[in-house]
Amino acid sequence: MALDNDTLKELYRNMVTVRLLEKRVERLVTAARIPCSGHFGTGQEAVGVGICGPLRSDDYLFGTHRGFAEYIGKGMAPAEILCEYYGKATSLSRGRLGQHLLKVDVGIMPLPSSLGSEFGMSVGAALSSKLRRSGQVTVNLFGEGTAGQADFGPALEMASLWQLPLVFVCNNNQYVELAHYRNVVATEDIAPRAGGYGVPYEIVDGNDITLVYDATERAVSRARNGEGPMLLEFKTYRRGTHYTGDPGGYQPREEIAAWEKKDPIDRCRDRMMAEGFWAETDEQAMRETIEAEIEAAVQFAEESPYPDPATVTENIYAQGGDKS
Amino acid sequence: MSHRRITFIQAVREAFQEEMRRDERVFILGQDVRAGIFGTTSKLVGEFGEDRVINTPICESASVGAAVGAAMTGLRPVVQIMFGDFNYLAMEITANQAGQWHYLSDGALKVPMVIETPSGARGGAGYGHSQSLEAAFILPPGLKVAVPSTPYDAKGLLKSAIRDDNPVLFFEHRRLLTQRGHVPEEEYLIPLGQADIKREGKDVTLVALSATVQKALSAAERLSQQGIEVEVIDPRTLVPLDKETIFKSLQKTYHLVVVEEGRRRGGFGAELTAIAAEEWFDTLDAPVQRLGTISAPLPYSPVLEAACIPSEDDIVRAVLRSLGQEE
Ligand SMILES: Cc1ncc(C[n+]2csc(CCOP(=O)(O)OP(=O)(O)O)c2C)c(N)n1
Ligand SMILES: [Mg+2]
Repeated sequence: MALDNDTLKELYRNMVTVRLLEKRVERLVTAARIPCSGHFGTGQEAVGVGICGPLRSDDYLFGTHRGFAEYIGKGMAPAEILCEYYGKATSLSRGRLGQHLLKVDVGIMPLPSSLGSEFGMSVGAALSSKLRRSGQVTVNLFGEGTAGQADFGPALEMASLWQLPLVFVCNNNQYVELAHYRNVVATEDIAPRAGGYGVPYEIVDGNDITLVYDATERAVSRARNGEGPMLLEFKTYRRGTHYTGDPGGYQPREEIAAWEKKDPIDRCRDRMMAEGFWAETDEQAMRETIEAEIEAAVQFAEESPYPDPATVTENIYAQGGDKS
Repeated sequence: MSHRRITFIQAVREAFQEEMRRDERVFILGQDVRAGIFGTTSKLVGEFGEDRVINTPICESASVGAAVGAAMTGLRPVVQIMFGDFNYLAMEITANQAGQWHYLSDGALKVPMVIETPSGARGGAGYGHSQSLEAAFILPPGLKVAVPSTPYDAKGLLKSAIRDDNPVLFFEHRRLLTQRGHVPEEEYLIPLGQADIKREGKDVTLVALSATVQKALSAAERLSQQGIEVEVIDPRTLVPLDKETIFKSLQKTYHLVVVEEGRRRGGFGAELTAIAAEEWFDTLDAPVQRLGTISAPLPYSPVLEAACIPSEDDIVRAVLRSLGQEE
């Protein structure tokens, strides 16, 4: 299925939502309205949004800590994200998760605080859908720094050995915390490592959402057809700092400027305008709607109550157990 | 009632068979589980096929991770960790992930899985194949911990563990694996969180785990000849812990001794002693006596290994100390 205009518009809308929501949450963190720090992904929105495009609602997604792209893409609403960040009773987790966004009924699976601990879990989810013959695909998104984690190789091995419906997606944004990734990653590309386990791979421009979508669509349909796992590496760039408490300064200005020219949102809009199905008036109307939605979400989260402390021991165990 | 006697291994394998027949969501994964390195999973592949008895690559963390992912998405995996010691390789997944996502998701995710793990010192296996680590799993939230001491308990507890909607650690002491015991033909379950009084007595309450239960029973037999009646209690699960049964016993004996093969420092005995000091102070006539393995790496030589681990003699002495009758 090629990417049609309506789908592209929807992906575009999601990217803009992500960009605006991240900016808004950044202000709320800085103003200490939100207790956690924030890790944002300005400039890399096409990856998280684009990979969700070809997914079914019941497909499993293991996302990352950086930004909201895959969460918005897979069907989390700004209000749901905000309520988690605020730690309010109205959040899906009733104040338990914060930044570790989760929405099980649209297939958004756990984001472990420990980077890379999802590798085994995504193997398990894919194994489970294969054994249950459910036709679900699992997508495991991770950063190039996280590829150094111990379970990465074994997860590729298991996915290959058992021919699992599992798509590994490396979001290579070229920074691992406060350093360029080549300080801590031995190779320019992560993807060829998959080859060592017999897993096919592709390296793709991660700032062109149509390419992200198409590559994911190929990998997902292969996986759904029982042809096994794949690894996609999307080359992109984190234009902001690592997190809200990071003053930055270590990313060369020229580097940031060069990537600004390749901004995925601008590229998508220019293309839609050039092809004649998007106009300045559409743009304005869309931005107004998104901003209104975000402001309503902020207000809802602000006005929501905190959880009742008496709920703190609820649901430690699914049955029985010991709350001491 | 039948008086069938089978080995611990057979009892465990029967539990797997029965539960896998009963529920097609149950499957086993681990290193060499098709052949079954200690026999507990042997021959299951013949009946249930390769989709339900899966050999994994040598990576404990990713294997336990895979079990967590499968459990969260509708299956009921049992993952075998070949030696208890290797649980440390998967500790991140077990402690930080498996036990926590039910709570973190406010119940939206369940993690019904079992980690089956042969462990303990059996002489000659050396430092990294001999430890009893069950107490390490008291600390992380959301886990249950079973430490059966007989074939009967192993079968009944494992069946409950497989049916439980939480992650359960199931420790099998390797000295017990080939021992025989009474296991009825008829199906039965043992609930997690129910201690068993292995011998009744009125003078001292002796709480013992896993392989130390037998040593405790032999010690009790010897002490009985001196007129001291020891009540031996096997909690069978550390989490949840059946405090009531232990407390009831104390209300009769007023003396508490606890023995385990896990390390004494920060061990199960430390936890139980703290509970006793906090909640049962008025039912203690003497300081609690606490026995466990010393905090050394377990040495290879059988003589040195034995010197680290509580023996029957140590237990006899601890009971006498408790009663103020130092030898
Ligand atoms: C196991 C673990 N170690 C370290 C960290 C701290 N940490 C948070 S983000 C990050 C950098 C990750 O880099 P990368 O995988 O490239 O993802 P990116 O942040 O660039 O999206 C680190 C080291 C962590 N969360 N978990
Ligand atoms: Mg990175």
